[in-house]
Amino acid sequence: MSKSRIPNISRRDFVRTSAVFGTAAALGGVLPPFARAQEKTLDMWWWGEQELPGLQKFVDGSIAAYKDAAVKSMLQDTAVVISQFQTAAAAGKAPDIQYLWNGVYHMESVWLGYLKGLKGLVKDDILAASNPTALSRFGGNIYRVGWYPLPMFWCYNKTLFEKAGLDPEAPPKTWDELLAACEKLKSAGIEPLGGGIQDGYWSEWYITHSLPQNLDSFGEAVELFIGDKDFRDPKYHEHWKKLEELKTRGYLNKDMSSLELYPGIDLVAAGKLAIGQSIGTRLPADSKATGGKIGYMTMPLFGKGKLAGVPVVDVQGLGISSNAEDPAAAAAFLEYLNSPERLKAFWDATGWLPSNTTFDASVIADPSVRGLWENWGLKPNISNVTNLVPGQFYERAAIPTGQQIVQGSMTGEQAGELAANTAKEWRDFNPDMVENYRKWAVDLSAPM
Amino acid sequence: MTNSLSIRLKPYLYVLPLVALLAFVFGYPLLRIFEFSFKLVRGVDGPWIGLRNYELILSQSLFWESVLHNIQLLLAIPAMVVISLLISILLFERIAGWRLYRVIVFVPFVLAIPIIAVVMKRMFQFSGPVNEVLRWASLDFLALDWIGSSDVALWTVMILIVWRESALGIILFLARLLSLDEAVLEAGRLDGANWWQRVWHIILPQMRGVIEFYVVVSVITMLASVFAYVYVMGGGRGGPGTATMVVEFYIFNALIRTSLPGIASAASVLLFLVSVLLIFPMFRARRRAREEEA
Amino acid sequence: MVPAAHSTHRRRFAFTAGDAVKQGVLIVASFIALVPTLYMIATALKSDAEYAVDKLGLPDAPVLENFRAVLIDSPFALWMLNSFILVAGSVLVSIVVSCLAAYAIARMEFRGRDTLLALSTSLMAVPPIVMIVPLFVLYTQLDLISTYQGAIIIYAGLITPFSVYLLTTFFRTVPNELFEAARIDGAGDFLILWQIVLPLSLPALLTLVVVNSLYVWNDLLIAIIFLQEDAKRTLMAGISVFQGRYNNQVPLTMAGMVIASAPMFILYIAFQKHFIRGLMAGAIK
Repeated sequence: MSKSRIPNISRRDFVRTSAVFGTAAALGGVLPPFARAQEKTLDMWWWGEQELPGLQKFVDGSIAAYKDAAVKSMLQDTAVVISQFQTAAAAGKAPDIQYLWNGVYHMESVWLGYLKGLKGLVKDDILAASNPTALSRFGGNIYRVGWYPLPMFWCYNKTLFEKAGLDPEAPPKTWDELLAACEKLKSAGIEPLGGGIQDGYWSEWYITHSLPQNLDSFGEAVELFIGDKDFRDPKYHEHWKKLEELKTRGYLNKDMSSLELYPGIDLVAAGKLAIGQSIGTRLPADSKATGGKIGYMTMPLFGKGKLAGVPVVDVQGLGISSNAEDPAAAAAFLEYLNSPERLKAFWDATGWLPSNTTFDASVIADPSVRGLWENWGLKPNISNVTNLVPGQFYERAAIPTGQQIVQGSMTGEQAGELAANTAKEWRDFNPDMVENYRKWAVDLSAPM
Repeated sequence: MTNSLSIRLKPYLYVLPLVALLAFVFGYPLLRIFEFSFKLVRGVDGPWIGLRNYELILSQSLFWESVLHNIQLLLAIPAMVVISLLISILLFERIAGWRLYRVIVFVPFVLAIPIIAVVMKRMFQFSGPVNEVLRWASLDFLALDWIGSSDVALWTVMILIVWRESALGIILFLARLLSLDEAVLEAGRLDGANWWQRVWHIILPQMRGVIEFYVVVSVITMLASVFAYVYVMGGGRGGPGTATMVVEFYIFNALIRTSLPGIASAASVLLFLVSVLLIFPMFRARRRAREEEA
Repeated sequence: MVPAAHSTHRRRFAFTAGDAVKQGVLIVASFIALVPTLYMIATALKSDAEYAVDKLGLPDAPVLENFRAVLIDSPFALWMLNSFILVAGSVLVSIVVSCLAAYAIARMEFRGRDTLLALSTSLMAVPPIVMIVPLFVLYTQLDLISTYQGAIIIYAGLITPFSVYLLTTFFRTVPNELFEAARIDGAGDFLILWQIVLPLSLPALLTLVVVNSLYVWNDLLIAIIFLQEDAKRTLMAGISVFQGRYNNQVPLTMAGMVIASAPMFILYIAFQKHFIRGLMAGAIK
């Protein structure tokens, strides 16, 4: 399945282009500086080829076609996207344009003064159409241009639903309906729900879908970290209790703990698992491989918060660093990436959508994919709440809680306990960040 | 070269590159970690905060959990020593085909850790080959969730470590055995001592030095160089949960994942102090191993 | 090595039950030592479909598709080239630095000589992770992240204490008469080092090359922190990315592992003696 996710052509191109870039960079270092002085140069550090193969092709193509400046790009490694940028920015060596994950992954850099506010720098209409999301706002300014969207949803295999006597076009809407569906699937000899949690990301996605069910705004989530609210309060760890319930009822797939995220999603596409968590970038390939038999839904409802049942769309983005010598030139390049011609080129190179509400969706042939974009991307949506989670909390609580509940070695209540303790630990370790989070909560609680 | 000043200076010119290199790669960082460990570092520097970083680390359960995992890994050492002794002594007896066996049992050490960790991780998956064999042999109770369960994952890493590091022990011990005095062994054999008696009373006493040395080297490995094993087996984050978190990984995480270079430095200082404590036994063991051989 | 009398003596004994047990133990040990390699190779030759139903057996109809996919679609060749550049660079730097220093320490009198040797030697016990934080910060300031020269300096630094230690020990065993003779012929120190000491030290140098190359080739820690650009990734760092990206295609992953381990395997089979000696020396450090 995932073979088609990683088109051969892009990998090959990648090897070739990196070789070319290596040589070019080497020459660039050797040539005397005056030789290139007339031209504007921009540095761009980016990430994403890892989750969206073909992006490299788009980046290279855009750089080659762009006439107003020479852009030098560097694809970063997943582990160091943030630390490398922050350290470089502190040293005054940051690139002009930096790839930015949503929420705290770039907000820390905002607070440290490493990023430029984009209001007035990038055209307002482009900024708004690119949907940088509420998590990119701080102190009234916006810090990213949206690049590509990641609709997040629960997926299910329609063929298996039919086999178990469930309506493939009406997936469960409430928690009770979900439990009933799981029971039916189980008695039909089908593993009902799950995926792979060995590498931890399934834990994160679970929080993405479940925690907002008891929240009225994302500001409320921030309050959980700064200590105004408490994970020990039942409504803030109810989602973990729900996971525990799925575990104790035996609805989770047996090898969930030893599989990684994507092989877990493969199980759903392969017809071995009925319900899982998935992401938009996977849908085109999975839908094609199953002949349109992959359905999508929001997580069945148990919570009573205002955010319950709202589709989740995370957006990856690009920002401009404070070290940029010519921020206007960097902004012009970002605007160029959002031109109709480039948006089309993005689709051609990656087989996936750029984050721009003006994108002409008629090029999407697969009705599932188009439907997802219309229902998730163009209707009211919320961002990914785990993007509010401080790194320390992520590593110590967000990921381990899910893993341990799925193994059966932790209860939902204990998960709340661990989360509360870890939030306190984070406050102790990062006294300087707590104040920033407090201010951020104001932006996050404000209406869009 | 007749100038007396240049003669006096010459040795220093020869060692200058060494001093410069070591000062850059070891000296500067070792000074800086002490400085950083007293600061709340953001990016490249930050305000002084006294002993706060140490207080935070030492009162954090995750840090102690990591330390405990390193200590638990020490349990692998006795197994490694026994396996290495057994195999090296058998090889030493020149059992038919011993040269071929020697080539084979050393293979684990030839494979790089990241490679073998990737292979083992696939083998130990819940529905992977290891469990398939166990189920086939009706040993279902042993078909554990080797890499998925927090209770088992560290033991699985230990299996991998024992598997690979024993190869080193075998070769080390075999080298020592080959330098033993044949006459003494022969005398033992003529006395009618059986295999166990010969091993216990004649061979082992002569190998104390090399065993001690292997143990010390392994202790250093377990405490301070298991990063590559854990990085691959633990899904890049010392998981599942924090089940395979070790001190090295704690430092890596603090620097790379949670942007806390100050905390990473304070933990580095602690690890450095432990390694300083280990330097003395290491030198002593090496000296003894050498004396024994001489 | 083995006294002739001893082996003839052994041959007089018949094959006993004890021998059978010993053979058994060695066969089991060899099997365990080889299982992952065999699994790796067998799986690499299977298709995804075959692996799904048969994880253990030999491939029914061996396919080479996985190898093709790895070699063409993944930058394995580039990763190997990067690793090779780092190995060559750092080993060269380290050998030059260590030869000069070891010669001075072994053959010259100067103040601080013993302290220098003791200090340098004790650095062998310092875990590399300890140096990471300041070097990472410094390298970012100096723009040395993701550069060959930056990583080469770190690697060279990490392997040098052992090199100095080994070479000093070795240089001290060179007979004094050789030096005296050369000096009478009017040779300077540099000439003596180059024309007399180094040729005599070839076995030690060879051992060093093996140990140090292995260290750099196999390292993961420095590689993932200091070489972050995709185009500069080493083989070991590449593998950890590669296995994550293709973690649902075990045969493809295994084909990658076979290719990645091939160079060392070939060297091991070809230069067994040096390899074993080199690794042993490295471990003893």
